[in-house]
Amino acid sequence: MKFGVNGAVAIATAIGLGMPLAAPAQELVMSIGSRGYGGMVERNIEGFTAANPGTSVEWLKVSDVPGDSRKLYVTGLMAKSPTPDVFAIDVIWAGEFAQRGWLEPLNDYLSADTIAAYNPSFLSAATVDGKVFAAPLYVDGTHLFYRSDLLEKYGIPVPKTWEEVIAASKTVMEGEGNPQLYGFVSMWAKIEGLFMNWLSFTGGNGASFFDADGNVAVNSPESIAATQTMVDMIYKDKIVPDSILTMKPDDARTLFQQGRAVFLMVQDFVYAPLSAPDSPVAGKFDFTRNPYFAAHPEGYSTAMGGWLLAVNANSENKEAAAKLVEYFTSYEAQLTAAIDENRAPGRTDVYAAPEMQQASLLKKLGEDYAVGVVRPSAPTGNLYPRVSETMQTEITNALHREKTVEQALNDAAAEINSILGK
Amino acid sequence: MNRTMNLEQRTALTGIGFVTPTVIIIALILIYPIIQSVVLSFGQSSIDGSAPYQFVGLKHYAALMGDGRFWNALGVTFTFTALSIPLELALGVGLALLMNESFRGKGLARLAVLFPWALPTALNSLIWRWMYNSDYGLFNAVALQSGLADRPINFLGDTSLAMASMVVVAVWKTSSFMALIILAGLQSIPKDLFEAGRMDGMTKWQEFRQITLPLLKGPILVALIIRSMDALRTFELPFNLTDGGPVNATESLSLYAYKVIFDFLDFNFGAAVVVVQFLVIFAMSLIYVFALRNKE
Repeated sequence: MKFGVNGAVAIATAIGLGMPLAAPAQELVMSIGSRGYGGMVERNIEGFTAANPGTSVEWLKVSDVPGDSRKLYVTGLMAKSPTPDVFAIDVIWAGEFAQRGWLEPLNDYLSADTIAAYNPSFLSAATVDGKVFAAPLYVDGTHLFYRSDLLEKYGIPVPKTWEEVIAASKTVMEGEGNPQLYGFVSMWAKIEGLFMNWLSFTGGNGASFFDADGNVAVNSPESIAATQTMVDMIYKDKIVPDSILTMKPDDARTLFQQGRAVFLMVQDFVYAPLSAPDSPVAGKFDFTRNPYFAAHPEGYSTAMGGWLLAVNANSENKEAAAKLVEYFTSYEAQLTAAIDENRAPGRTDVYAAPEMQQASLLKKLGEDYAVGVVRPSAPTGNLYPRVSETMQTEITNALHREKTVEQALNDAAAEINSILGK
Repeated sequence: MNRTMNLEQRTALTGIGFVTPTVIIIALILIYPIIQSVVLSFGQSSIDGSAPYQFVGLKHYAALMGDGRFWNALGVTFTFTALSIPLELALGVGLALLMNESFRGKGLARLAVLFPWALPTALNSLIWRWMYNSDYGLFNAVALQSGLADRPINFLGDTSLAMASMVVVAVWKTSSFMALIILAGLQSIPKDLFEAGRMDGMTKWQEFRQITLPLLKGPILVALIIRSMDALRTFELPFNLTDGGPVNATESLSLYAYKVIFDFLDFNFGAAVVVVQFLVIFAMSLIYVFALRNKE
């Protein structure tokens, strides 16, 4: 735990050495996982310190598992720790952290042009009462990964709708006759990823979490029908193993990578391990936008996740911290991250860069992210963890057939209304 | 002053002097958090101290009474305890009797029995989670290839199997602990009692029922107390094995309290859960202490 120590040490050292406190050497602490943004963290820090002499940045490496780093942040932020000055937050925490007063609004530090360049869906997730509390760093959405070799073998075009996915799964499973081969796998354990998946299914059927008047609409007919399809995929169509109910993203990815599934719907980070030279499915897979239901082509989108950079409201170097955020999310830095490290930029203008035309993977991602939907974390604010947990529980109830879909979603709606105090 | 003290008073003072540091430490690390939890559970406070503590009386407890998830967690905790303790006890007595016999490789056997106990619960849970896995786990590979099952069994993903699967891990891990305590009791039984029994023509079973078991009551009760306290606050096992799933079928009270406090950041409501759990364990220990006193 390094919270709070560095700032204190820096000041103590400054006083001890008799330095004038008016112009101290600023030391920023930035925390972000070491895998998520790869080598870009070090490169950006080097670039930033070169451009801002007198400011140093220490990289506090935190866990890449969001739940773990969240616990670390929350403990420090509750205690009003001034460090880390800058930290990476999951898009779903932005609303909650901002409401709790832990984040510094960035409107006074970033230019309007910069803010306008950020991905609008992300920006909306980080905006509370008209103020922007975090800057989009990179996007990580969910996609439908498929075995291009198997689809080709059976002459099936890349599916766009759930109906096509189910039919294609059945054709391939029957044709291959391998009991070890499943049609579709995903992360349906009781985790945040399940909620993401469910939003993708229901969104693809024209449903939304809140209706136009802001009422909880998780039990709308469209939503119930889409959830029923998830249940039927396991028990009626039998294209999904019931072990899916214990799968986290990497469990599903492992099965797909072993060649035991035709379709996989998880976050984009799996692209790297799946395409690694020693991967059994390397060169035999591709990905496409999350499917929709045939009756609702307007629901053709992708569920987005990703990371933003925020400034600690108790930081002692807010100005410098905001500069660091601006540097990381600048056009140049994001373009480099995209070209060199395959990180999908949090700025929309980068996708139009001429260099991006060669990066076909990111170009494809960028088109999908432009229509991506985010989870309802901004409107639910600090109650989001509870709302998400309730949804995970009730969706799981339906998937286990402990309750009928309608019952489960009615219960979820009632519970969420009571959580939100409606 | 010193001169007017008699020897008894001086001894008492020395005693108090020795005990005081321990009492202070216990008060700080044990009593203070308990009081703090009780205080939290009766009030509403903001997690960062930005709003003052407000007394709300029994509000959180009333909410608790209407909280289906709390009752589920309480039920899970009791079911887990009631299922695992008798099995552990039976297996523990058996293992202890076995280890008490002298045979070749006895040292190795004792080591093997203690092994599961020596491994951290978190590690055990992860090992078992892999063995239970329905797509690449050991049990399913064996069951499918030997023809015992014709489709994979989802040990941890099936609401009716998950609890049983969790109990198996608990029994596997802690029977050896029961055995250890009972073994210590066994070894303190004088050998001449058995010799006398044999002279009177007792069978092995009679020996066990009439000599061994009565003399083991003390150690067995101690083992039961320690293990049930443990089982009532089980956390690492469900946290690592199932994360409380499927559908909260294995969510123990500790795990629920943890989620309320660290995921929802609702410290006041979480404190109410913890206080109820504390009372349950406290009541349980009173019963045991009472039983133990009667036996002596």
